[in-house]
Amino acid sequence: MTRQPWMRLAALLPEAPPSHAAAAALNLARRRLWPEEPFDWLIGRRLRFEVAGPDRGVTLTFDGERFVASRDAADCRFIASLADYLHLARRSEDPDTLFFQRRLRIEGDVELGLQLKNLLDATDWHKLHPVIS
Amino acid sequence: MSALSSPKLVCPAGSLPALRAAVDAGADAVYVGFRDATNARNFAGLNFGDTQLREGLAYVRRHGRELLVAINTYAQGGQTRQWQRAVDAAAELGADAVIIADVGLLDYAHRVHPQLRLHLSVQGSATNPAAIRLAHECFGIRRAVLPRVLTLAQVQQVIAQTEVEIEVFGFGSLCVMVEGRCILSSYATGASPNTAGVCSPASAVRWHDVNGHTEARLSGVLIDRYAPGDPAGYPTLCKGRFEVAGDTYYALEEPTSLNTLAILPELIRAGVAAIKVEGRQRSPAYVAGVTATLRAALDAAARPGYSVKRSWDTALANVSEGHQQTLGAYSRPWR
Repeated sequence: MTRQPWMRLAALLPEAPPSHAAAAALNLARRRLWPEEPFDWLIGRRLRFEVAGPDRGVTLTFDGERFVASRDAADCRFIASLADYLHLARRSEDPDTLFFQRRLRIEGDVELGLQLKNLLDATDWHKLHPVIS
Repeated sequence: MSALSSPKLVCPAGSLPALRAAVDAGADAVYVGFRDATNARNFAGLNFGDTQLREGLAYVRRHGRELLVAINTYAQGGQTRQWQRAVDAAAELGADAVIIADVGLLDYAHRVHPQLRLHLSVQGSATNPAAIRLAHECFGIRRAVLPRVLTLAQVQQVIAQTEVEIEVFGFGSLCVMVEGRCILSSYATGASPNTAGVCSPASAVRWHDVNGHTEARLSGVLIDRYAPGDPAGYPTLCKGRFEVAGDTYYALEEPTSLNTLAILPELIRAGVAAIKVEGRQRSPAYVAGVTATLRAALDAAARPGYSVKRSWDTALANVSEGHQQTLGAYSRPWR
């Protein structure tokens, strides 16, 4: 992949700030988005979302009560371009389609990744609007 | 113009957002499953709990559509009560129909819930009028979903010889279609769709990148290696590439999707009662796109002068497994 200027810059940045920000955002949204989800499948397990190109990402786990950032090696890694992550977030692309087209990779514990993929598919994002509006 | 009614469009949902997407995009019915081995898409985090089911049913009702519950795996020895409870739960919920493959379970549903509408699942593997008639006489089934192994002419013959409604597949990933009898996945993983509700369970799947080539392994067994740019498929044994007599290729079948847009008028003329979309494991984005496309195509096919729009084909090709679409068994010109 051709590394664009932003990728070279991103590759120099530390991962801790965005990981902590992502964990904080999830903790804010959790009760509203997933009131019945115990996230027991993520306790002691680490999921990493990696942006292909700069090879930077965020790694998260769940401590039984809160999402926390992690520096340890992930049990499961998602790897996609930033644009495709945005497509997935907007539900304008289907994750299986991106997988078929080799635009989304899942490495490590696939069951952990599938659990997350299906949770996101089942998430009613409209419930978040009152928070962000 | 023919007075034949347009087939019902039956769409998949593995989650509440997918169910809403199906309804919003024009599905006449949505089929769902419980979160256990009683349905053939028993994947982690997929399917419906009690709360989601009730919400889903309310949404379907509000829009005048139907909710079908798939209890389409085979009850396992010593655990038949679990499958029976699933039927009880669907009946108590007020589902419009349950989709069942297991003959023992059909018998249970017919005896215990005589008011419950029964559909014979594709996994029931009834391919001829006599088999469908028997299921109708014994269990009162109201609809049969035909296995994806029949030609269009055979579908027409079955419909002409049975009083039971016939549902056929219209779009979705294909497999080896040993409907209701496939245990291939068990050889590598110990679980199969018809027994555990899952083909290639995720716990057995590993993808690993080696110098840009992605290796797919099932319980450690290498089943495919994708070069950069190669389309990937689901990690099932039937879609793997294997070395046979010195040649490495799709020894069983190439990942492929069924696409019936070209023959929708023939299916309607044949008197098909419903057309089903595969993919409860897929996302709301897939369900929305495929449902909207099939809705537009079915509406157009009911009128004279039907032709497949390029935008429909593009929409379906985009979400297809394996970048290859086929009419499957419907078209067998060599027969």
